[in-house]
Amino acid sequence: MADLAEKLSPLHELAMPRSGSDKVILSERLCDSLVQVQAWPDSVGEVEKQIKQTRGKRNVMPTGPGRWLIDDQSEGLEEKLRKKIGAELGAVTGLTHARVVVSISGEKATWVLASGIALDFDVTAFPIGTTQMSHHHEIGLTIYRVGENSFDLYVFTSLVRSFWHWIEKASAEIGYSVI
Amino acid sequence: MSGFRLNLRDGVGANLSDNAISFSFDGKNYRGLEGDTLASALLANGVSIIARSFKYHRPRGVFTAGSEEPNALITLHSGGRTEPNIRATEVELYEGLVARSQNRWPSVNFDLMAVNQLAGKAFSAGFYYKTFMGPALQGHKATRFWWLCEQLIRRAAGLGRGTTIPDPDHYARMNAFCDVLVVGSGAAGLSAARRAAASGARIIVCEESARAGGALVSTPDFIDGEPARDWSADQISELSAMDNVCVLTRTTVQSYFDDNTFFAVERVTDHLSHKDKTSPRQRAWNIRARSAVIATGALERPMVFAGNDRPGIMLADSARRYAIEFGTAPGRAVAVFTNNDTGWLAARDMAKAGVIVTAIVDVRADIEPSIRSIGEECRATIHSGSAIKSVKGMRGVSGIVIANYNELTGELGDDSKSIACDCVAVSGGWSPAFHLTSQQGGKPTWDAELQAFLPGEPLQKWHGAGAMAGEFGLTRAFRSGEEAALKALADIGVTIPKQAAKAGSGPDIDGDEIDYAPAPVFEINSGGKSFVDLQHDVTAEDVRLAHREGFVSVEHLKRYTTLGMATDQGKTSNVTGLAIMAAASNKPIADTGTTRFRPPYTPVAMGAIAGEKYGHLAAERLTPMHDIHVDLGANMYANGPWMRPETYNLPGETVEQAYIRETRAVRAGAGLVDVSTLGKIDVQGPDAAEFLNRVYSNGFAKLPVGKARYGLMLREDGFLFDDGTTWRLDEHRYLMTTTTAGAGRVMEHLEYYRDFVWPDLKVALASVSDEWAGVAVAGPKSRDLLKACVKKCEVTDKGLPFMGIVDGVIGDIPVKIARLSFSGELAFEVYCGAHWGSALWHALMSAGEKFNVVPYGLEALSTLRIEKGHVAGPELNGRTTPHDLGLSGMVSSKKNFVGSVLLQRETFGKEDRLQLVAVKSLDGQRIRGGSHLVAGSKVQPGGSQGHTTSTCFSPELGSYISLALLEGGYKRHGEKLFATNPVRNAHVAVEVISHHMVDPEGGRMRG
Repeated sequence: MADLAEKLSPLHELAMPRSGSDKVILSERLCDSLVQVQAWPDSVGEVEKQIKQTRGKRNVMPTGPGRWLIDDQSEGLEEKLRKKIGAELGAVTGLTHARVVVSISGEKATWVLASGIALDFDVTAFPIGTTQMSHHHEIGLTIYRVGENSFDLYVFTSLVRSFWHWIEKASAEIGYSVI
Repeated sequence: MSGFRLNLRDGVGANLSDNAISFSFDGKNYRGLEGDTLASALLANGVSIIARSFKYHRPRGVFTAGSEEPNALITLHSGGRTEPNIRATEVELYEGLVARSQNRWPSVNFDLMAVNQLAGKAFSAGFYYKTFMGPALQGHKATRFWWLCEQLIRRAAGLGRGTTIPDPDHYARMNAFCDVLVVGSGAAGLSAARRAAASGARIIVCEESARAGGALVSTPDFIDGEPARDWSADQISELSAMDNVCVLTRTTVQSYFDDNTFFAVERVTDHLSHKDKTSPRQRAWNIRARSAVIATGALERPMVFAGNDRPGIMLADSARRYAIEFGTAPGRAVAVFTNNDTGWLAARDMAKAGVIVTAIVDVRADIEPSIRSIGEECRATIHSGSAIKSVKGMRGVSGIVIANYNELTGELGDDSKSIACDCVAVSGGWSPAFHLTSQQGGKPTWDAELQAFLPGEPLQKWHGAGAMAGEFGLTRAFRSGEEAALKALADIGVTIPKQAAKAGSGPDIDGDEIDYAPAPVFEINSGGKSFVDLQHDVTAEDVRLAHREGFVSVEHLKRYTTLGMATDQGKTSNVTGLAIMAAASNKPIADTGTTRFRPPYTPVAMGAIAGEKYGHLAAERLTPMHDIHVDLGANMYANGPWMRPETYNLPGETVEQAYIRETRAVRAGAGLVDVSTLGKIDVQGPDAAEFLNRVYSNGFAKLPVGKARYGLMLREDGFLFDDGTTWRLDEHRYLMTTTTAGAGRVMEHLEYYRDFVWPDLKVALASVSDEWAGVAVAGPKSRDLLKACVKKCEVTDKGLPFMGIVDGVIGDIPVKIARLSFSGELAFEVYCGAHWGSALWHALMSAGEKFNVVPYGLEALSTLRIEKGHVAGPELNGRTTPHDLGLSGMVSSKKNFVGSVLLQRETFGKEDRLQLVAVKSLDGQRIRGGSHLVAGSKVQPGGSQGHTTSTCFSPELGSYISLALLEGGYKRHGEKLFATNPVRNAHVAVEVISHHMVDPEGGRMRG
């Protein structure tokens, strides 16, 4: 995999680092592997087991009944999982290029997110390490809570610039930096 | 006292600081103080006429001190920021504020439109209905004349005028969730918030004013040994410092919706002179509360009497607030007219602040001695058992005439007494402000003791507290706030032990304990013009007229008289109007009922509702090659949510010249077009083949691995739904492509069938539209181009036959290549991961240099497919079947599929159905899109026989052409018709030809 071309983010120039307030810190990254796994109704347990047995540093995000979105910090997860999860168990779909991860952290991160997303961001309602599916207007989002004040938002690649414009605008009232 | 400004001292002008502020009203400059409202500053400057009334253009002044203001409506700002009908009583003064009066000509002080008053009797209730309704009979000109008059009269009436210039401000939104929402921060609201917050629950407190505290801000009472104002400020500070509490000032809760959802608007920068560009003007809050305490207080209402709309007449508590909070005397000599004890307290507080109170007129004969002594304290003359008979003065108040009054019979005595004054402070009792709960559906109930409607039974989780719930007075407000908080906490499963609840109960209060019940007097009927609804110029006589004319329902009364309509929604007039209606009907008020309040509570800027969804923040979908197209100078345009290149114009080229050049280049050599926008769906599972075989009209069960197939998808009713190619990637995995516009609805269609119709099939569906960047390489040199750059696979005719798929590499980019053709030329679609999309484009362009490759846009793409006769969105219009589009061969007779049954309807077999043909211009004129195909001349075209769908200039045919749907079109090739488009003044002679205009045998794409 090492000889693959370098990926280019749709945000490459927009999300250049800049200093500012640390109350909101924005950043973006491309996934090394982002895979959706869908189990059949009678194979959910087995698929879950196979996902756990496939090693890696990752966020495993449940996104529906018997369905997970897995963000792994190494390339090739799609092929690895497809070997373990055949058609008799479920479906493995590569989405590495289909999303861009926009990360937001800082003490005002939830304020910014709540200004556009109709979710309860209180940590009691949205605990650390859990996932929520929502929308910002037309833009579908998968949101993973990394910490009390930090989130990874998986944004559709074709819409990520619009989302970035919004999140910068929403953060401007507070002040923000990009790393 | 300087002007109308009182000597500011402790407790007088409590809202004000020493900072002077300049502002202008109707072009004249004034000075105010920081903390003033526009209304208080104008009053302090002696400006009494601020507006003209809606219908009669009567001079009007400030009537209240809050959002219920019916009179003092002004227009703020100019240009795109123009905002009409703003209540001067709510506008916080800031340096440089520019305001102007409205609905007047030439000025508010001298308004020629006041001539309307002369026709006052004609403009009574139902004026428009009576005057302008009726048929325009032949030869009868009168009605038409009156219709003309209506235009002029309507223009003369009204409020402020808005602007059509775009609003340059930006607005924000906030989604908030809480356990308990407390609306209002007066005694009841504070009490509820303190109790609820102590439990650890998540609390939001919303306060409409700039300063929290409600009535505590101006009451002279003491709480826990402190002035109520200081005590409330301490409490707010403590609450604001708690992690579980959010206190929002300048935030009006406007609406109460289902699921305990509240809509509130926060005025973020409206009050600032220098507005930070990054801050929104207003923020719209959507608050989802598990329970709510509604502590919105009560609105004072006036009594109706002759001349009661003169500038200088205002509500008594508002007059008191101007003195206490804004250090402004409402007049140099104030007469108080009341039917309850609170009017006396207003008189006392004003007098203490330095206002001269000349008289207190009370309709009640019996006044409690403790209350009566207040009059002596004020040095005012006391007139109990009396009422105002008339008001002296034309453009203001110069005095009042009072007479003895019998509160039981409502009769005025013959005696008359004149009292000199320039301000009348009126109190007709208090109406609980239950607007929010009324919106939510609880039917209000009449309280005969308080002479007021109270909120009805809750239909959602809310609890009323304080004056809103009829609990008047500080002690009852605190207690009811505590109780409401405990009930709200119980709603969310938090139970406070009784002992703890008791230990935390209300503070010590040292203040007035009075009877808030007014005498049941709403109108003093002395024969003059007496206004019920000041904003809409509805008089007491209008209400009685409506009753006489049969409008006995309050809902009909409202609509016939317009009582309670417009920007104030009758906050100060509803109850009085109902009482007059009840008296006319000889019914109790309880039986007359009341109308339901509608959201919002006060007018809301459209920008606050629209938020950031529109304008430059509206979402756009961009392909991975977007920047390349922009750099190449492409005309980018919105194609649904996608931004796509229309043409890549060379300097001086028109769009038409550009697409003709691009089309020719593709047919002559090679071209690249970005097809990343096509919908792409990953279809996997052991039953994927069977699933596809059921949703497509043609067979898919036997599609070999490594091959693609064009498929038609039908709706259940047999009409075409979408089309596209589906690629079999392995035994159980397919990549389906859809039209760009159809991707979303196809996904929904497939999910519906998978989940509800065939749940037994093991099929997984996933949108991968954003996963893949796609480039179509088309033209006779396209294979050569690919050969020059593709590695690890064959792209020869043998290695990659028509409709074949291979995996390969271009540069370091893994790609999938399918040999498909939309253009009719030898062509390939090359897909790669979206983040490699721009690298792929550059690699293909680079490889294509020696083949003179050109990028081509949607216009050329469309031209190529029109020439070829391939259908697209304009032909798949939801009203065509495969048979109509020459695609009967794509309909399997060997299987069932979605739409197969209804496709066999007899009507679909009729020969006169609209069928796909092409038409070619015979006279060199351009064929316009949407033209109708007719047989006749431009003057007498005859009936439409069909219409054009997709038009272009064909470089291959050297003529304008169009695909078209024509009645019985398959058998009409060679006919001469006209493509007529009267809207564009076009009538083009055309010949009907086959839609297969270029390479009908398909040799080029299969070559």
